[in-house]
Amino acid sequence: MAGLAASFGSGAMTNSIAELEDSDCIFIIGSNTTSSHPLVATRIFRAKQKGARLIVADPRRIQLATMADVHVRHNLGTDVALLNGMMHVILKEGWHNQGFIDERTEGFEDLKKVLDAYTPEKAAEITGVSADDIIKMAEYYAKAKAGSIVYCMGITQHTTGVDNVKTLANLSMITGHIGRESTGVNPLRGQNNVQGACDMGGLPNVYPAYLAVTDPNNQKKFESAWNAKLSDKVGLTVSEMMSGLSHGQLKALYILGENPMVSDPDTAHVEKALKAAELLVVQDIFLTPTAQLAHVVLPGASFAEKDGTFSNTERRVMRVRKAIDPVGNARPDWEIIKEISNRFGYPMEYETPEEIMKEISSVTPSYGGITYQRLEGEGLQWPCPTTDHPGTRFLHKDKFVRGKGLFYAIEFKPPAEVVDEEFPFWFTTGRVFAHYHTGTMTRNCPTLDSEIHEGFLEVNPGDAEGLGLRHGDAVSVSSRRGQMTAKTMVTDRVDKGVVFMPFHFIESSANVLTNTALDPVCKIPELKVCAVKLEKVA
Amino acid sequence: MSEQVKNRVKELLSSGKIKGFLGLCSRNGHIAPHLFVNADDLDNLVVGDKLAAGDSRYPLNRQLINLVRAYPDETFGILVRGCDERGLTALASWNQVDPNKIEMVGIACPRELALACECLKPYPESFVDGEKCEGVSPESVARIDTLQVKERFDHWYHEFSKCIKCYGCRDICPMCFCNECSLENNELIRTGEIPPEIPTFHLTRAVHMAGRCIDCGLCSEACPADIPLRTLYKKVADIIDKQYGFRTGYDGAQKSPLNFLGGLPE
Amino acid sequence: MDYRTVLTTCTHCGCGCNFYLEVLDGRVIGTIPCKTSPINEGKLCIKGWNVHEFIQSKKRLTQPLLRKNGELTEVSWDEALDFTARRLKEIKDAHGADSLAFLTSARVTNEENYLFQKFCRAAIGTNNVDHCARL
Repeated sequence: MAGLAASFGSGAMTNSIAELEDSDCIFIIGSNTTSSHPLVATRIFRAKQKGARLIVADPRRIQLATMADVHVRHNLGTDVALLNGMMHVILKEGWHNQGFIDERTEGFEDLKKVLDAYTPEKAAEITGVSADDIIKMAEYYAKAKAGSIVYCMGITQHTTGVDNVKTLANLSMITGHIGRESTGVNPLRGQNNVQGACDMGGLPNVYPAYLAVTDPNNQKKFESAWNAKLSDKVGLTVSEMMSGLSHGQLKALYILGENPMVSDPDTAHVEKALKAAELLVVQDIFLTPTAQLAHVVLPGASFAEKDGTFSNTERRVMRVRKAIDPVGNARPDWEIIKEISNRFGYPMEYETPEEIMKEISSVTPSYGGITYQRLEGEGLQWPCPTTDHPGTRFLHKDKFVRGKGLFYAIEFKPPAEVVDEEFPFWFTTGRVFAHYHTGTMTRNCPTLDSEIHEGFLEVNPGDAEGLGLRHGDAVSVSSRRGQMTAKTMVTDRVDKGVVFMPFHFIESSANVLTNTALDPVCKIPELKVCAVKLEKVA
Repeated sequence: MSEQVKNRVKELLSSGKIKGFLGLCSRNGHIAPHLFVNADDLDNLVVGDKLAAGDSRYPLNRQLINLVRAYPDETFGILVRGCDERGLTALASWNQVDPNKIEMVGIACPRELALACECLKPYPESFVDGEKCEGVSPESVARIDTLQVKERFDHWYHEFSKCIKCYGCRDICPMCFCNECSLENNELIRTGEIPPEIPTFHLTRAVHMAGRCIDCGLCSEACPADIPLRTLYKKVADIIDKQYGFRTGYDGAQKSPLNFLGGLPE
Repeated sequence: MDYRTVLTTCTHCGCGCNFYLEVLDGRVIGTIPCKTSPINEGKLCIKGWNVHEFIQSKKRLTQPLLRKNGELTEVSWDEALDFTARRLKEIKDAHGADSLAFLTSARVTNEENYLFQKFCRAAIGTNNVDHCARL
C-alpha cells in the first residue's frame, strides 16, 4: 500500500472488480485468486472467455496457472528482477507509451538507467524464468489495449514489498496501462474490511482519509473535531509493538478482533511479547490463542449481530445489517469502545452506528458524500466527497492523485534469508480455498472444517522421494526460529526446492517458522520467504 | 408491478388461508426473497425482474422447505414459475412437501426469459399473470452434441477446470434436500482440492440430478466460474426422457425411474 | 413465526460479496447470494456459502472474562469495563500515553475502526494504533 501510494498518490485498487472482465491482458502476480479472492477470479475467467491473455507469475502452479497463456515460476523473492527484465524488453522493443510517460509521469530517466542492466538473460539468471518467457510476458502485457495487474500478499509480504509494488507501478506507467476503464493496478485486500480499517485511520501515521498525523494542519483539524489534544508523533506498527512489549517500553496492548498469535511471524517472539504486557485486553468473538493470554476478554458481536459498513477491496462502502441479537451477553464492538471511553473520561454519545457514520463523513473527505441512505443498492466507491457525487469506479483518470505518477529506479535485492546447506528449502505460505486468515471464523464453520481440517506441507514429488516422504507422512519442518510438524502433501503444485504451507492452522502453525525481517518502509514482515529444512518423522 | 399477483396474495393472506407468502420484495435497492405475512403490506411485492426478465429469481422452493420443516402444520403461499411448479410437484413426490399445504401463485415467463432458459415449459399449469408462450428446445445441448468426442471432452475439461468447489450448484438447488451429500464424501471425491477431481465431481452431481433436475437454471446462475451446468443437466434429463419417458415434475403421479428413496419404480 | 432475509456483506475476504442471511425465529439458518449485487451477481465461494455457520457456534464468547488468580473467569460487563478503563488510566498516568498500544481490526466495521482510533488518539493521546493490513 505504501508503495502504490508513493507512486500514484493512492494505495487502493485503481479499478473495480467488475472492470477486470473487460481487460484484454491480465497479469496476476503473487495472488492465488481462485482461493483467496474467488469472486475476483470470476471476472478473470470471464476476461479469458472473452479472449484476454492471462499471465501468471507464481512459484506455485495455482489454479489460474493451468489456464494461463504464460505461467512462470520465478524464484521466491525475485519479483523486481522479473519485472525489471520485462521493462527492459519493453523499452528495447519500443513497446512503451512515450506519450503517457511524457505527459503524466516523472522520474523516467532514472528508471531507464537502472533497467539498462536487466537484460532478459540477466533477469533469467536471477529468477530462473527463461528469457523467452520474459520476452513473451513483456509483449503480451505491453501490447494490450487494456492491461490490468492483479497482485496480493505474494508481492507485499517481503522485505522488498514496497520495492515490488513500486516496480509494478513502474510497469503500468511505462506502458500507460493505468487511469482507464479496465486498465490499472489492483492490489487485492485480504481482510474483509482492511480497506476500511486503513481508510478510518487504523494506522500509526495517519488520521482518517490518510491525513498525516505529522502535518500540523491535520492535527489542528482533528483536535477541533474531537475536542482533544493530539500527538504529532507517528505511532508504532504491529511489529514494533511486539518488540516494544518485549523490551518493556510498551506496557499495555488492547487488541480488537485480531489474532497475532497465529497471523504474525515468529510465534515464539509474539507470545513472549504478549506475556510481557502489564495489561493485555482482547476483544473478540472467540477465545483465540491470543485471547487466551489476555488479562481481560471482552466478547464482541459478529457481523450478523450489528449494523455498520465495510469497505471492500475496490473501495466500495457497503452496509452490514443486523440479522439477530448478539449471542449471550456479547455486545457490538462500537458499544464496548464507547463504554470504555466513557469510563476512561472521554465521553462518547453515539446511539447508533449511523450517527458514527455522520461524524465519519464530516471529517473524512473521501467519505464526505456517504450516508446510510445513499448506500442502499450498490453502495458507493470512494472517493465520494459530496452527497451528489456518484462515487469513483476507477482512479487516476486524467491525473494521478499525487499529480504526476512517480517512477522509482529500483534494483533487485535478494530476500533477507536465503537457502543454504543447513536450511536447503525455500518456504512460503498462503491461504487455502476453504479458510480465511487465522481460521477463527472459518474453522468454526463445520462445512469448511470438514473440507479442510488440518494444515499440510506441499512438497514436490522429486524432493519427497529424496527425503523418503510419502503422501500423508508426518514431516518435521524447522527454520532458524522454530520447528513444527505437519502432514506431507506430495504435489507438483510446488517446484523442486520449494515447500508451501497454509497459515490458518495453529496446530501446525506456519508462522512458527517465518521470518520477522521487515520491509524498511512499510514494516511488512517477510512471510512469503524463508529457509527451512525437512525431516521425515520416524 | 403485478396487480394480479398482488391481488391473489392479498386474498390468500386476508382470508387466513396461508400463514405467509414466499415471494420477492423490492427493498434496500435490491430484489429480495421475502416472506409476506400481512395482507396490508404488499406494496413492495415484485416478480423478480430488475433489469431483465427473471434476473433476480431466488430459490424460493428451498426456503419453503426450511419453513415447512419448522412449521409442518402451516400452509404457505409461494410465487412460482413453470420450473418452480415442476420443483414442487417433484418435491411432493419425494415426500419433501405436502401439496395440500401449498398455495401456488403462478406467473408465466415472457418469451425473452423462455429463450434465455431454453425452457421446455415456461409457464406453470395455472397462472395469474403473464402470457403463455411456447417451449424452447435446448440449442445449447444440440450444439455440444455436434462436437467430436475429443472436442466435447476438451470443452467440459476446460469448464470443470475452473471449478472453485463452492458447492453453490448444490447449495442453491431446490431439489437438493439430502442430509448427506456424496459430493462431500472423501472416499468418492478427495476433499480439500480445487479444482475438484475432473470429471468425478461434476459427473457425480450430474448423475445425481438424473430424474431430479427441474431445469430452473439457478445452478448455472450461481456458478462463480460460469460453468454451463444447466446444459449438462439438460443433457442428462434428455437421456432419462429417451430411456424412460420421464421428465421431472411434469406429472405428479409418475415417480422418477431413479427413485431409490421411495421404493422401486413400477 | 418470524422469518426474515437480511441483506448484508460477507466477512470472509476483501471481495465484499452481498448475500441475505436467512433468519428463522432468531436463528441464522442459511445464506442466499444476492443476485443484484454488483460484486458477486448471485454467486459465492465456499466461505461465503457457509459464513452463517460460525455465528451461533457453541464456542462463541458470551460473557466478559477477567483473569483472577491466573484463570480467566466470567465477570459482569460492569466489572470488565471498569477494570479495563481503570488499568488503561493507571498505565497512562504512570508511563505516559505512548506506553499503550492498540490493534484495531480489519474485521470490524468502519464505524468501529473509526471509534477505536479516535479513542486511542483523542482519549489516550497516542498514535500507537495499527492493524493487520500487512498480514
